[in-house]
Amino acid sequence: MLFLINESKSSLVLCMDVGFSMSNSEPGQEPSFEQAKKVIQKFVQRQVFAENKDEVGLVLFGTDGTKNGLAEDGQYENITVHRRLMMPDFELLEEIESKLQPGGQQADWLDALVVCMDLLQEETMGKKFERLNIVLLTDLNVQTSADQLDVIIDSLKKARITLQFFLPFPVDGEDRADGGGDGPGPSAAPVRPGKGLSRQQTQGLEMVKNIMTSLEEEDGLEEVYTFSDALQKLSIFKRIDRRPMAWPCHLTIGSSLTIRIVGYKAVTEEKVKKSWAIVEAQSHQRDDVKRETVYCLDDDNETEVQKDDTIQGFRYGSDIVPFSKVDEDQMKYKSDGKCFSVLGFTKQELVRCSPFMGSQVVKVFAARDDEHAAVALSALIRALDSLKMAAIVRYAYDRRSNPQVGAAFPCIKEKYECLLYVQLPFMEDLRQFTFPVLENNKKFKPSESQLSAVDALIDSMMLVEKDEDGESVDVFKVNHIPNPQFQRLFQCLHHRGVNPDDPLPPVEPWLKRDLERPQAVSARCQTPLQDVKTKFPLKVVVKKKEQKTSADVFDQEHAFTLTSIPCEVSHFNRRSLFQVGSVNPVRDFCTLILSLLNLHKNVSY
Amino acid sequence: MAEWREYYQNEDDEVEEDEEDSGGAYKISGRDSLVFLVDASKEMFIKGEDGEPSNFDMTMQCVRSVYTSKIISSDKDLVALVFYGTEQSKNPRNSFKHVYVYHDLDSPGAKHVQDIDKLQGEKGAQLAEKTMGSGETSLGEALWCCSNLYSDIKLRLSHKRLMIFTCRDDPHVGDSAKDRQARTKAADLKETGVVIDLMHLTKPEGFDVSLFFCDIVSPPEDESELGLQTEPCRKLEDLQKRVRAKELKKRAQSRLTFSLGEGVNLAVGVYVLARTATKPPAVRLYRDTNEPVRTKTRYFHAHNGGILLPNDMKRAQVYGKKQIVMEKDEVDEIKKFDDPGLVLMGFKPMERLKLHHHIRPALFIYPEEEQISGSSCMFTTLLLKCSEKNVFALCRYIPRRNTPPRFVALVPQREELDQSQTQATPPGFRVIFLPFADDIRTVDAHVGPTASDEQVDKMKEIVHKLRFKYRSDAFENPMLQQHYRNLEALALDMLAPEPIEDLTMPKVQMMDDRLGPLVQEFKDLVYPPDYNPEGKPAAKRKPAESGGGGAEKKPKVEMSEEELKNHVEKGTLGKLTVPVLKDACRQFGIRTTGTKKQELIDALTMQFSK
Repeated sequence: MLFLINESKSSLVLCMDVGFSMSNSEPGQEPSFEQAKKVIQKFVQRQVFAENKDEVGLVLFGTDGTKNGLAEDGQYENITVHRRLMMPDFELLEEIESKLQPGGQQADWLDALVVCMDLLQEETMGKKFERLNIVLLTDLNVQTSADQLDVIIDSLKKARITLQFFLPFPVDGEDRADGGGDGPGPSAAPVRPGKGLSRQQTQGLEMVKNIMTSLEEEDGLEEVYTFSDALQKLSIFKRIDRRPMAWPCHLTIGSSLTIRIVGYKAVTEEKVKKSWAIVEAQSHQRDDVKRETVYCLDDDNETEVQKDDTIQGFRYGSDIVPFSKVDEDQMKYKSDGKCFSVLGFTKQELVRCSPFMGSQVVKVFAARDDEHAAVALSALIRALDSLKMAAIVRYAYDRRSNPQVGAAFPCIKEKYECLLYVQLPFMEDLRQFTFPVLENNKKFKPSESQLSAVDALIDSMMLVEKDEDGESVDVFKVNHIPNPQFQRLFQCLHHRGVNPDDPLPPVEPWLKRDLERPQAVSARCQTPLQDVKTKFPLKVVVKKKEQKTSADVFDQEHAFTLTSIPCEVSHFNRRSLFQVGSVNPVRDFCTLILSLLNLHKNVSY
Repeated sequence: MAEWREYYQNEDDEVEEDEEDSGGAYKISGRDSLVFLVDASKEMFIKGEDGEPSNFDMTMQCVRSVYTSKIISSDKDLVALVFYGTEQSKNPRNSFKHVYVYHDLDSPGAKHVQDIDKLQGEKGAQLAEKTMGSGETSLGEALWCCSNLYSDIKLRLSHKRLMIFTCRDDPHVGDSAKDRQARTKAADLKETGVVIDLMHLTKPEGFDVSLFFCDIVSPPEDESELGLQTEPCRKLEDLQKRVRAKELKKRAQSRLTFSLGEGVNLAVGVYVLARTATKPPAVRLYRDTNEPVRTKTRYFHAHNGGILLPNDMKRAQVYGKKQIVMEKDEVDEIKKFDDPGLVLMGFKPMERLKLHHHIRPALFIYPEEEQISGSSCMFTTLLLKCSEKNVFALCRYIPRRNTPPRFVALVPQREELDQSQTQATPPGFRVIFLPFADDIRTVDAHVGPTASDEQVDKMKEIVHKLRFKYRSDAFENPMLQQHYRNLEALALDMLAPEPIEDLTMPKVQMMDDRLGPLVQEFKDLVYPPDYNPEGKPAAKRKPAESGGGGAEKKPKVEMSEEELKNHVEKGTLGKLTVPVLKDACRQFGIRTTGTKKQELIDALTMQFSK
């Protein structure tokens, strides 16, 4: 059964300050304008090449001209609606590259915000949009009139518009504490912690804090980023992330205990969505290439046969069994629809030793707005948690999909509780390999000095550090790094799109940097690493020629020996003759000859 | 035309290469082979106490399970079944007495499995008595016969293993000449690369390996290995486990350099210890003869019909209305970041590894002393220290050329043995794939009321009643099992496939019995009397379809060309659903590369923006 659900959409307005203060920079630093432009570019690039259906608008303020729906009587001047809400396309990318220039004016960022709100409301009227978001990129270096602030906050709340700020400096001097888990990480490095800000900037910052905290209480400030943050972590996407599809189902225990649940894919490997088509090299036309698949017999002539003259079959060991599609469908395993049925409960440690299968983790909640289900599921989650147990369940996504066996672990967070489902292996998936012992193997037993060298190396290479407050901070969070594969692909597509005849550009330096060991760690581990190097002799083994199998030796060198033996001999000493065929044919052959000679001697006597 | 196939070998599809098998410099040629050499003496047929199966029965069940698992997982491997100590003789040249080759080295098929089935149970014992009988024993002759089986095979064999199943520790009862011959033949076999294992079974006075068999079997992989298991197998389960542990040749998926930095490199082999077994793809057969046919794919020019060589073609993607073209090499180059290998980033405490950060089944690494000497020592030291300090190593991992990097956690895993002294977990690092930011979805948590202590306690009772000991090999894949049963039935002309036991189904009756009144008590605590959790589902499921294939469909809404053009211009095709887009493509006879939404949109855009 297919539910035709209208994908919920997001709309977002990028609102960038192009006023003259944005072009200022301290020596050795990129001007804020350039940084902000890069953020926008990277964002739009990703939207275009990921073929995101979300609509994006672009509003610039501090422009020389004025072009917006609210401009009247000298109000809302120097604010330009560059692009109304549309799906981002290549054109927008090119425009940003060539037409987005610093302006010579300054405009009030609050005014610009109002223009964006107006734009969002006008364009999304009567349409169903799940999320509305405004992204403001500014250095706050302009006189702002705060008298309308309350009204603005109110209407933002009413229209359920969310906000994100991107500033050249961090909102607080100190790092925000890491939420631990899914929350955003600490900002990279405090650039200029509150110092050196102009009066307008300090005042602006207060207003930003005011707006954000009144919109979202204490979490609001997590949506204020620095430009460098944004470049590294794509924070801009967070707000308009598409939420995974809900999977409503029933959790069952036995025949009569049922809890209404909803599952969401929480973690899954994101793949490149679009495949490459084959085009003709000269015309670049896809229609010029025709692809043809022919079937042929496995004989010397490779006789071609028609597709209609072929049938489907499957291998069953050495047999090939004809098995038509119709029969297959008729006889195949049929599951009876979606389910999340508990088979039993087991100790978590038993499941943790097992390999996890599949490519996803599903978060399971109680059905929305069903408090009875919530209580029932909560009882299960808490019971499992306190007993350190997990549920083993049969999971089937729908009627057409194959059932899985998996484990549901309890997960209790400060704000919510859920089950985490992960697939477990079937017997057929496992390979029981036995490996030789390492630890108690005399040959590989490390000496005390080797052990201490590695000990020191590990200490010097810890990626978790204590900050001033004694809290440990993870300095290399993989789950905050965007997949470089996408970034690289988009960079190349963008480049080729704009410059069809240029060779591909090199990997961007910041992208490479993201994949390297953090510099501080590199520096720290120099000495211990040298120590390890001297204490562990590691030598590349020069490849010897591949070992010959006895069959090879035998076939090539001594095969002839057998045929040259008279047959009556084999009659006489059959055993020893057979022995020539095995291991050391030369030696065996000599023995044979000797015995032959003996035989002849005997005969002649 | 052979060269054509080679030409297009990797050209066929633009899908990403298979994750496994395709990579690595390490290539295996040849097939694995396994000979079961089974004692058929009277002692083997003695039933155990309390109706326990005889040793012979146990062995046959075990052989059968290897046959079927070979059919499923590695149908190219060769297996043979040979009995010794029989009265009758049957072998290729009939030159060996009291050796009965039941199955010559061959890849097992349905027939083979059926043959084994015939040897099982009471009737099986009778059949064995009738066809083979029990007679004199000469292990030397039997081993010799086996070595001939190997040498008669024309295929290249990569791994040769021979397993002896017996419950007699002194098969020749003091005949030293026979003992000597057996030792010589065993030595010959070992010299040709055959690994000999002993699967010894129980005998009343205990099985003394040192009497005779210690000289027959292959020495352990290295001197410190536990080697020969001194305890005989009592249970089928143990026997199967032991056989399974040896039956497959462990094989590295690839061999890589693991770089700690500053030129400190060691070599490791990457192993796949768990991979989702899937139904193998169908093969096409020629209708008249049932012989398999091959497919050849070629590309030719639509206008002049000329064959297109790889460099006559390029790759393209369309975004919006812009087509971006690249060479095939460039498409590969984009994916290249660095050479294959593991590069150490640093270490993290184990608690930083999140249970729910799972995107792929884990891999396993073990040192490769043959590539870089000293690797094992370095590796062992790392393993010991990581385990002791409770940290994992974070690495960048590039499995193959032109593959983008991923980050992995190397989790130390020390060797563990189970009760029967079989390795339960091997020593090495588990390689756990970590998700990037893109792989983590934002989920809006449902927040609801939580349960009271009383409610939780009641649930604890329920959990307690339904606890069991999970084992990862306890569940069979019902879909696969059904598929192979079907094939088996067809291959053997059975009327209907044997029914499978679907182990993934909850044993509802048993659960209800165990829980008794607990369920009602729990429901009374959490649900109000009028609450029905099965009620008000989002959409009522339709009654079971009558099996007539695609049942009722919505009436097709044809879209006018006008409307479509409108969508194309505005770039709003994305708002239409996939079925509507498909219909539109069909309606206007537009060829598409695939059925993904974006591919349909691209095709329509190309058509209407010309």
